[in-house]
Amino acid sequence: MLNPLRSEGEMFRLLLYVIVVFAVIIAVILIARAVL
Amino acid sequence: MEAASIAHPPGGGPAEHEHHGPPPAHSSSRVDPQLLGMLLFIISEIMIFGAFFTAYFFIRVAQGDQWPAPGTQLPVYPTLVNTCILISSSFTMHWAQTSIKKGNRFGLKAGILTTFLLGVTFLFLQVNEYANIGFAPQDAAQQTIFYSLTGLHGAHVTIGLILLAIVTIRSWRGHYTPEEHRGVEVPGIYWHFVDIMWIVVYTTVYII
Repeated sequence: MLNPLRSEGEMFRLLLYVIVVFAVIIAVILIARAVL
Repeated sequence: MEAASIAHPPGGGPAEHEHHGPPPAHSSSRVDPQLLGMLLFIISEIMIFGAFFTAYFFIRVAQGDQWPAPGTQLPVYPTLVNTCILISSSFTMHWAQTSIKKGNRFGLKAGILTTFLLGVTFLFLQVNEYANIGFAPQDAAQQTIFYSLTGLHGAHVTIGLILLAIVTIRSWRGHYTPEEHRGVEVPGIYWHFVDIMWIVVYTTVYII
């Protein structure tokens, strides 16, 4: 299980997850604004 | 404080050498002290940022004020470049960490120095943005919370840079080994946390 507080490597993996999730959120927002 | 460890289980066996009784003073028997310290620190940081995000969402949602304030514009794309600079600094930080684990001192020094320089660049561009953005913190509530949120994050970057400067100097002096590199690991965790918070701040303040 991912524990970002245990090591730098796991915190880096959490950062990668956050980048992916927020990239999707930003893309959805920009597409929604363009369409609506 | 090892007096409690003399209690042996009846019959001896493999458990004979296990530690029994209360843990040493000021320690928990369940959570590793370093993990607990980092956990409490990160929780307190999340609460600080949470307080500022509460003020931000109060202005935008509860009060329903226009964002950004009428007549102002946020530099979305220049800040996106700055965001990429900060995120890339996490990759160089990770490079430094993996390098010292493998005993690669050049990788450690190059990675840490690059991380530090990328962080300085981010902070410099942030200050430059403040100087040219065209509004001041006291102009309106939106401006106040904009400077507060980004400034709070900037303060964290500054602290991270101080830590990175110390790690850089110690790297050049050869203080870290593949076996003992906690001095790189803990600032690395902090630096990634600062990056994660910036992604949240940037998305919330500049994009949404």
